[in-house]
Amino acid sequence: MRRLKSLLYSQRLAPYVFIAPFVIVFLVFFLYPIASTIIMSFQRVVPGQTSFIGIDNYRKMWNNSFLTALKNSAVYMVCTCVILIPVPMVLAVMLNSKKMPAKGFFRSMLFLPALVCVVVAGITFRLIFGERPGALMNSLLAAFGAEPVKWLGGPVRWTTMFALVILCCWRWMGVNTMYYLSALQSIPEDLYESAELDGAGAWQRFRHISVPLVRPTTIYVLTISIYGGLAMFVESRMLFANTEVGNQALTIVGYLYRVGIRKMNYGLGSAIGIFLLVLTLAVNLIQLILTGFFRKE
Amino acid sequence: MKKVLALLLAMTLVIGCGAAFADAEPTEIEFWTFQDLHIAFYEAMAEEWNAQNPDRQIKLKSTPFPFEEMHENLGNALMAGTGAPDLVDIEFGKFANFMKGDIQLLPLNDIVEPELDNIVKARVDIYSKDGNYYGICFHVGAAVIYYNKELCESAGIDYTSIQTWDQYYEAAKTFKAANPEKYWMSVESSDIWHMWPQLAELGGDMTDAEGNATINTPEMAKVLEYNRKMVKEGLAVVAPGTYHHAPEFYAMMNEGSIASIVMPFWYIDRFTDYMPDLAGKIVSAPLPVWEAGEKRSVGQGGTGTAVTNQADDPELTKAFLGFCKLSKEGGIKLWQTLGFDPIRTEIWAMEDITHDPENRFVKYYASNPFDTLLQIKDEIVAVNNNEMLPTVLDTMKSVVLQKVYETDESIEDILSAAQADAEAEAF
Amino acid sequence: MDTVRKNRKFSGAGAAMLLLFTVITAVTLLPFICIFLASFRPGNEIMSYGLGLNLDFSRMNLDNYHMLFFGENQNYFLYFFNSLKYTFLQTVLTLFFSSFVAYGFAMYDFRGKTLLFGLVLLMMTTAVEILMLPLFLEMQKIGLYGSMWAVILPQLTAPLPVFFFRQYLIGLPKDYLDAARVDGCTEYGIFFRIILPLMQPSFAAMGIFVGMNSWNSFVLPVLLLSQENRTLSVFLETLLSPYKNYYDILIVGAVFSVIPIVILFALFQRHFIAGMTAGGIKG
Repeated sequence: MRRLKSLLYSQRLAPYVFIAPFVIVFLVFFLYPIASTIIMSFQRVVPGQTSFIGIDNYRKMWNNSFLTALKNSAVYMVCTCVILIPVPMVLAVMLNSKKMPAKGFFRSMLFLPALVCVVVAGITFRLIFGERPGALMNSLLAAFGAEPVKWLGGPVRWTTMFALVILCCWRWMGVNTMYYLSALQSIPEDLYESAELDGAGAWQRFRHISVPLVRPTTIYVLTISIYGGLAMFVESRMLFANTEVGNQALTIVGYLYRVGIRKMNYGLGSAIGIFLLVLTLAVNLIQLILTGFFRKE
Repeated sequence: MKKVLALLLAMTLVIGCGAAFADAEPTEIEFWTFQDLHIAFYEAMAEEWNAQNPDRQIKLKSTPFPFEEMHENLGNALMAGTGAPDLVDIEFGKFANFMKGDIQLLPLNDIVEPELDNIVKARVDIYSKDGNYYGICFHVGAAVIYYNKELCESAGIDYTSIQTWDQYYEAAKTFKAANPEKYWMSVESSDIWHMWPQLAELGGDMTDAEGNATINTPEMAKVLEYNRKMVKEGLAVVAPGTYHHAPEFYAMMNEGSIASIVMPFWYIDRFTDYMPDLAGKIVSAPLPVWEAGEKRSVGQGGTGTAVTNQADDPELTKAFLGFCKLSKEGGIKLWQTLGFDPIRTEIWAMEDITHDPENRFVKYYASNPFDTLLQIKDEIVAVNNNEMLPTVLDTMKSVVLQKVYETDESIEDILSAAQADAEAEAF
Repeated sequence: MDTVRKNRKFSGAGAAMLLLFTVITAVTLLPFICIFLASFRPGNEIMSYGLGLNLDFSRMNLDNYHMLFFGENQNYFLYFFNSLKYTFLQTVLTLFFSSFVAYGFAMYDFRGKTLLFGLVLLMMTTAVEILMLPLFLEMQKIGLYGSMWAVILPQLTAPLPVFFFRQYLIGLPKDYLDAARVDGCTEYGIFFRIILPLMQPSFAAMGIFVGMNSWNSFVLPVLLLSQENRTLSVFLETLLSPYKNYYDILIVGAVFSVIPIVILFALFQRHFIAGMTAGGIKG
């Protein structure tokens, strides 16, 4: 007993005790679920009669709904990355500029949407993008003399995607700007000053000093935007309040949810989950290689 | 209303006193539902049951859930073999999800079979498999058409003379000419209630008796072509909010901008609850037909209440379910509180019940709902319910209808792609 | 001369940026203003006609707020307190266990360290949505389904806090430890008595990060909590159901759920921004 205690307190064993909670959580709530997903993805899971069916689920997965989901998720991810990286970077540069008045105020205002949970934001945007003339977007259109538009589930898909992307930008613009702001604040001031003395204009200073020096932040934001974009689900669920009109807002996770949880086809749902896991890892890996994350190490 | 309240109050008092003297502990029955209104019904019935059965007291513990969540939780709990309630409401379109593998619901044959002659058999058949009944419906859900009588009259249309869909289309044109800003009809881009009855009249369905998807069929194409024509010519509106249960739609209907909708009998309380301005203006009528001689209605939707194999006291739970859903007093209460067309048909002809001038539904409607029901009594067909149905409904709601009504894609292409999709997703 | 030129430039560019940020702020605030104004009007009207900038004050009243506090609020405050309880438990436990684990990673060299830390990074780039189906089934199997622990336990050693704390701890001088060891402190004593107090500034940032995420989290709670344990955001979503008409409480409840956070934000702005952007700090 005593020896056990001294072993437990020894410097050799202590690190393992410290990381034990992580290992337990990893095994029980990460590795086990993933392993059981892999197994289920090769099964037909029904009460009392579960059986292995080979790669059937992976074959069935490639149907039109899934391809629509894949396309929607990809478009959403690309749109959000294209907007939510350069724009916050520029905004942060402005907020960091000495010429900017009322910095603190604008910083707080920009940040405000991040405090709102996705459910409340979703309800608000669903109603703002309502199809009747009284909704905000349509009353704005009316102010310019345009006809009301059926934003969600209407004749064209892009209006739905537009609403989703706007919702995402509204929520994350402030946070991403703050990421860049904190990165910019760590760049020494004299770098800019000496560049200015050498005759570099604002654009050149931005291009040659700010952009390269905030690269770690860009990589981080890109990484979370990619997996966040590919895993988006709650936003579309809130905008459509559980109806799935025209699959216009169907995402990969939405399809996983529909098939796996709503229709209890655990096998097919698992196959979709594994696909998504591999996809996010692959896209992130490619992204990290291209942005030179590994080169630096 | 006051009378009912007084009666309920009196009943509570009697039962309250009675329970104090009962020696046996009441058995707890756990009940899940997605419809808060069903709880009120079951709780009233539980009080009545306790009054009639002092030696078999029950205590209902009801939990309301959101629609999808309840079915998800139930499936999960049944699969896990633990955590399921004793008694549960399962919606028609979801029922087949629970008919897979070893069935985790209890057969109800011993309570259903003695009553088969008194009820609309189709309303237990849709919840059966291999000769076993697993659920009992709340209602028949007969499909009818609701007209806004005032709007019809304002355009000089006599809705009773509309017998066929061709006449319905002609009436639509007359109506539109008189009311260019309004619509004759409404269709749903994310739900099937408006078109399934049209399909059933043609002998079509979502699935066939063997459990195959029947999306890509001439009947389906005919129905959708007809509705699409109505939409493209501005005679029909795609329901705002995408379906007939959306608040946006209720508002537009309530404004008097839509003259008619095809919906099941159970839509009756949506009118009274959400469209108060239409009181005294709404009538129901048998559906138009494509060709004379077609059956004019079909049982739509519904909720089968089932007993799970995790029930603590299966016999008592089943007996209570039978009392609620199959008995005469249960049927009467279903009409009075929820406005349902009871599956026990003798009630339809009980004039004191169906024409009770104090009843809120009777008061609201410009014609008695049961008059329509009695006209179509022998024409209410049943739809097929099988493991393919949830997938087909899903495909219809998520892809087909939106594309048909909102885009110009050819219906042939939409249907053949959807058929392939549904078959791929089948499990 | 030089100063004059600089000042002129200041006013020109400054004014342009001021204008730009004023527009951006207005657009950002618009949804807040709309939903806030809507909370004074009947919810059914909002659902039926859409949410706009309706400034018709004659049609506004406090009925919804009255209902929220004194009327049939559908147990709003039960769910509100559930959210508080969940947020508190999750934040305290996650901070504790994550710092514990991070200490192990930061201060020791041991076999398998690189691999294990790689697993932390792997978890960081895997969205919880992917795991929802197996977690859903697993929780039922082990009997945790429905309870708050089903949501709390999987996030006990959340990868981002572990990563963040490790980063923070690496910056601390290791001499401390050896001195403490010489004084006879055990390995755990060092952590509890010396390190934990030193970590306080990082706890503030991470506390806000974890707390905000917990207060706003939706996917795991909606999947795993039973009815009586639901959190506020899950409850609000259930009010959107077409089977009932609770839209008054939906809108006012949504607005009220944001108010406490906005007040906290106003008080602890700096910490909030530091906390919620903590992940971006790169070492």
